Amino acid sequence: MIEFQAVTKQYPDGTVAVHELDMTIDAGKITVFVGPSGCGKTTSLRMINRMIDATSGHILIDGADITKSDPPVLRRGIGYVIQQAGLFPHRTVLDNVATVPVLTGASRRAARTRAAELLDLVGLPVEMTRRYPAQLSGGQQQRVGVARALAADPPILLMDEPFSAVDPIVREGLQEELLRLQADLAKTIVFVTHDIDEAIKIGDRVAVFRTGGVLAQYDEPAALLGRPADDFVSNFVGRDRGYRALGFLAATGLTIGELPLVPLGATVAEARAALVDSWAVAVDADRRPVGWLSAARLDTVDATATVDDDLVVSGGSLYQVDSESGGRAASLRGAMDSALSSPAALGIAVDSTGAVVGSVAADDVLAALAKARTAGEVPT
Amino acid sequence: MIAWLNTHWGLVGSLSGLHLYLALIPVVIGFVVAIPLGWLATRSSALRSVIFYTFGFIYSIPSLALIVILPEIIGTQILDPLNLLIPLTIYTIALMVRSVVDALTSVPWEVRAAATAMGYRPLRRFLSVELPISIPVLVAGLRVAAVSSISLVSVGTLVGISGLGDLFNDGFHRDFVGEIVVGVVASVVLALVTDAVLVLIGRLATPWTRVG
Repeated sequence: MIEFQAVTKQYPDGTVAVHELDMTIDAGKITVFVGPSGCGKTTSLRMINRMIDATSGHILIDGADITKSDPPVLRRGIGYVIQQAGLFPHRTVLDNVATVPVLTGASRRAARTRAAELLDLVGLPVEMTRRYPAQLSGGQQQRVGVARALAADPPILLMDEPFSAVDPIVREGLQEELLRLQADLAKTIVFVTHDIDEAIKIGDRVAVFRTGGVLAQYDEPAALLGRPADDFVSNFVGRDRGYRALGFLAATGLTIGELPLVPLGATVAEARAALVDSWAVAVDADRRPVGWLSAARLDTVDATATVDDDLVVSGGSLYQVDSESGGRAASLRGAMDSALSSPAALGIAVDSTGAVVGSVAADDVLAALAKARTAGEVPT
Repeated sequence: MIAWLNTHWGLVGSLSGLHLYLALIPVVIGFVVAIPLGWLATRSSALRSVIFYTFGFIYSIPSLALIVILPEIIGTQILDPLNLLIPLTIYTIALMVRSVVDALTSVPWEVRAAATAMGYRPLRRFLSVELPISIPVLVAGLRVAAVSSISLVSVGTLVGISGLGDLFNDGFHRDFVGEIVVGVVASVVLALVTDAVLVLIGRLATPWTRVG
């Protein structure tokens, strides 16, 4: 547990980066600091490992005041992931990860063995471990950065905008990876970002800072979206917060409808007969969706032709029911998105093997939302 | 000239050895001194100004003048090799201190911050992170300093300190161009070989710069 007690950071020129910050960061959870630039989120993070010292107030880790400890020793017990990864260009990936164990006195051999385990844990292919950082992609470098921070098995992990420099698709993968790791490791993670969507996605609790280093709201993501403390938070979390809040509602009450299926290889005449409201889903031998078949498209080909990949219209996002990823994917948001992004106005629901189980209609998602509201699951 | 060279291989060889020795000792010492000075210069801008101006000023004094007046200042004997070694060392420092500052400021901030956050103490961080990453820039500076030092040692002959400069001086007095040419060629060869050795050392020490 990390406690900020009336912590203020003022620079010699008078700028106040952090003002009278009081907050308690739960052990074993991901706490995200988010806010516009100049809001003191990074300063607050760096005060935890004394990269920056507070002007006044106290920071306690498990009850002990951090100013009582020698900064380098304190830092070796706190993992740190920096933006751009900050890998040492002159050391191999393996030796980068072995850095802290070597600093704390482990033999080089033991440190490298540990480093190899961690690189495996973060999913870096084994042939990459002997390479230099310049030979890795941005996403791979950041995986190494995470492995390096975890090498000494610190209870606390500080992450300073770690995924800001990678492209959105890679970033999403890294976020998923972090959540997967955290499910096993249960570290006390403090994560700084300027991206509210990232904060909402990965945070167990989110601290929204406003310019001048003042904590505007410190809450669980659903509460942040459901009842922002003031206009600043409301504006910061964005216009479509109502839609994003659907991400925190389990889709348990959602009705899954029927969906006409046509196996690849069926004749076009069979496909036409199967259409409901001019649409049907083409599936492969394992009932996995290949795409949508439309009356308009089928009318352009001969009735005796067979249904193949060229005939299908690619579909929207798939909605996975009974997800194994902690229920996050099986939310009303995913259900709504599958319905809205589908060319047929019906989302495709699939099971964990990817096989089609039915359809999702936007109306049914709204009905499920109404049910959740009456059941009191929606924060108001 | 060839005939002269055939009978004087031994002389050219020993003068070359002496020349190289006199040129490289200051480069080594100057390099070692420039590193902490350069590090100091990166710590405060006031200190950087003082260091840059001081060495810039000394560097602007003509080498021969410095060699001649130095015994007066530090009380050495007239033929003492220190009279040559000390100015050359100062010139190396003057050249290298800028290289060291350039090299250290070129270390990416996130690499430096990551090293600090991982628990490196300042000295160890300097020696095992910042300095190794600086090698390419440092080697570039060393090449200039070494070649410049090799060329400057010749001046020593005018104050009685032997090197390949003896051949220029002797050739000039005897009006024998061949000897001057041999001296010039030997000096250039020394500079080229030294430069090549430095490039090689730099390459061997920085395998990470040739990937990606």
